[in-house]
Amino acid sequence: MSCNTLINRFAGIGLAAAVTLAGTGAGLAAEVNIGFTGPLSGGAALYGQNTLEGLKMASAEINDSGGITVDGKSYDINLISLDDMYAPSRSAVNGKRLVQQYGAPVVFTPHSGGTFALQAFNERDNFLVMSYTSIPEVTAKGNKLTVKIPPNFTDYVEPFAETTMARFGPKLAIANATHDYAKYWTKAFVPAWKKAGGTVVADTPMDYNKSADFYTGVSKALAADPDVLFIGGASEPTGLVVRQARELGFEGGFVIMDQAKISEVARVAGGMDALEGAVGVAPLTYMDTEGAKSFIKLYGKNHDNVPTAETAYNYFAMYLLARAMETAGTVDDPKAIRAAFPKALKQVDPKHNPFAVTHMTDDGNLAIDVRIAEVTDGKVVITQGSDME
Amino acid sequence: MDALLQQLLNGLTLGSIYGLVALGLTLVYGILHVPNFAHGALYMIGAYVAYYVAGELGASYWLAMIAAAIIVAALAVACERLVFHPLRHAPPIHDKIAAIGLLLFFEAVVQMYWGADFRRLEAPSSSIFYFAGLTLPAQRVLIIVAAFALMGALHLYLKKTLAGSTIIAMAQNREGAFLVGINANRVAMMTFAISGALAAVASTLFAPINLVYPAMGHLVLLKAFVIIILGGMGSIPGAIVGGLIIGFAEALGGFYISGDYKDIIAFALLVAILSIKPTGLFSQGVR
Repeated sequence: MSCNTLINRFAGIGLAAAVTLAGTGAGLAAEVNIGFTGPLSGGAALYGQNTLEGLKMASAEINDSGGITVDGKSYDINLISLDDMYAPSRSAVNGKRLVQQYGAPVVFTPHSGGTFALQAFNERDNFLVMSYTSIPEVTAKGNKLTVKIPPNFTDYVEPFAETTMARFGPKLAIANATHDYAKYWTKAFVPAWKKAGGTVVADTPMDYNKSADFYTGVSKALAADPDVLFIGGASEPTGLVVRQARELGFEGGFVIMDQAKISEVARVAGGMDALEGAVGVAPLTYMDTEGAKSFIKLYGKNHDNVPTAETAYNYFAMYLLARAMETAGTVDDPKAIRAAFPKALKQVDPKHNPFAVTHMTDDGNLAIDVRIAEVTDGKVVITQGSDME
Repeated sequence: MDALLQQLLNGLTLGSIYGLVALGLTLVYGILHVPNFAHGALYMIGAYVAYYVAGELGASYWLAMIAAAIIVAALAVACERLVFHPLRHAPPIHDKIAAIGLLLFFEAVVQMYWGADFRRLEAPSSSIFYFAGLTLPAQRVLIIVAAFALMGALHLYLKKTLAGSTIIAMAQNREGAFLVGINANRVAMMTFAISGALAAVASTLFAPINLVYPAMGHLVLLKAFVIIILGGMGSIPGAIVGGLIIGFAEALGGFYISGDYKDIIAFALLVAILSIKPTGLFSQGVR
């Protein structure tokens, strides 16, 4: 088929659509395609599905309540999700497809590798990247069409180090995962630990996704007699690491990277008692905001498990995007949409904002007052970052 | 010293599981003459069946293991009948493609039904033995004992029973087996059933100290491939010894050299052994 016939055909479809629209009047809303590329199969599938679920929940709600209204015209969100199996190269291919084939003005991605891959061409191809990753580099590089949804992980580093060192002692063993994100964490956490007066006695990261068993790695870390173990990857393997460390007689504390969620870790590790002395990011279920409560309720209607932070954050991000489109008065100009974000942040109903995101930096980073969870006497105790100073 | 013993124990646990999976793979190799990639999916389904029977239906762990073995054995036979048998006259590459297709198909079905969540199968006993500075959770002891018992049983079955020796005859020389009147269909089905049951038991044994999720088969399957190449394609002692070598290499290498390099150590060992004995440790000279 030649290029021309293809264009003709598309034009034909467009015409037909226009005729139908005119025929049925306002009853049929126009659509705006929003793209998603993330891991939907393979080892990280659960994480990808969780992020996508948040986007789906918000889109469904927005569409049910009349869609996105721009200049008196309403648009339904049509979410198009493609699987990249966590591989940045596939994210790039998916990004191209979403933009060229579907004309998506916005592409969501839940990992840093995918974000960097999309950032290689998003300014040129003119689409907005909504990135769910907490690596500061994503926005620090000055990409003009990027919004980073969760806070920087570096915000957690100091309070984590201070809390556990005060309780258990200065000897740290590194036993986190080996993927890029874990390495970013190690690079930020080790200097913070040393600055607080600690030492690193063992450096034994393990591949959380490809290890059949953690006994070897954990026993190697424990052989150096540490006070605190620095761990984290996906929640469930992290839970296995905790469980095996306790089996092997470890009695110290844990610093848990934000990728793992304390409540999910506890389910595998053998309850909160196994996690005594662990610090991590506050789980959604322990948040006392209006948004968290209503989101948990909403999620509970169609699911039989508790929602995760990534679902809640992406749910909020879709609402934020919808409000930004309305504020900007366009659904297809990514630059205008991006510029409208700070204003749109104030338009989002608090019940759609579980983590109480309050402001946004100029480079596109959404920020919250970080909350830190510590397991004390078998219970999760939440401290707000601003209270710790 | 304690550390060494602990690592030997870890190696033995891992090696027993690898060995069980590799055994099934090597048996089927005798029929298909290509590695059965779908074996990883059978392993995964075994864990899910056990999870379903023990976790959702509330039956005992042992019942769950038996159910997993029976169901996966039936599934393996179905694969043989519906997919591999019709392809018996096709070039080996077709078997290979079909096996990869099955692997992807089973994974997608399981993910559709159960989702991508990590699940946990509870161990029948959560007690942990400590002696002489060693940590020995009951489940790990069970893995080692059960794996070796199964290997022993399989050995006796193949060597001492008529049905078992037909499997060996088929693997050694297909035409010869036909000439003495061995029913190829029956042997093929039996072999697939045994290999499926072994995979299911291995995953049910291993699941309590690990997690149950749709992609769990990849990891073990990759190791099992290395093992059957190392031990010699189609060789039963090769699968057992190969499994132990890889298990020990991972545990000892991971502890004494570096966790980052533990897979490299296993693969370097593979290269070293193959360069000395290109057909594998226990190759029978049957290609």
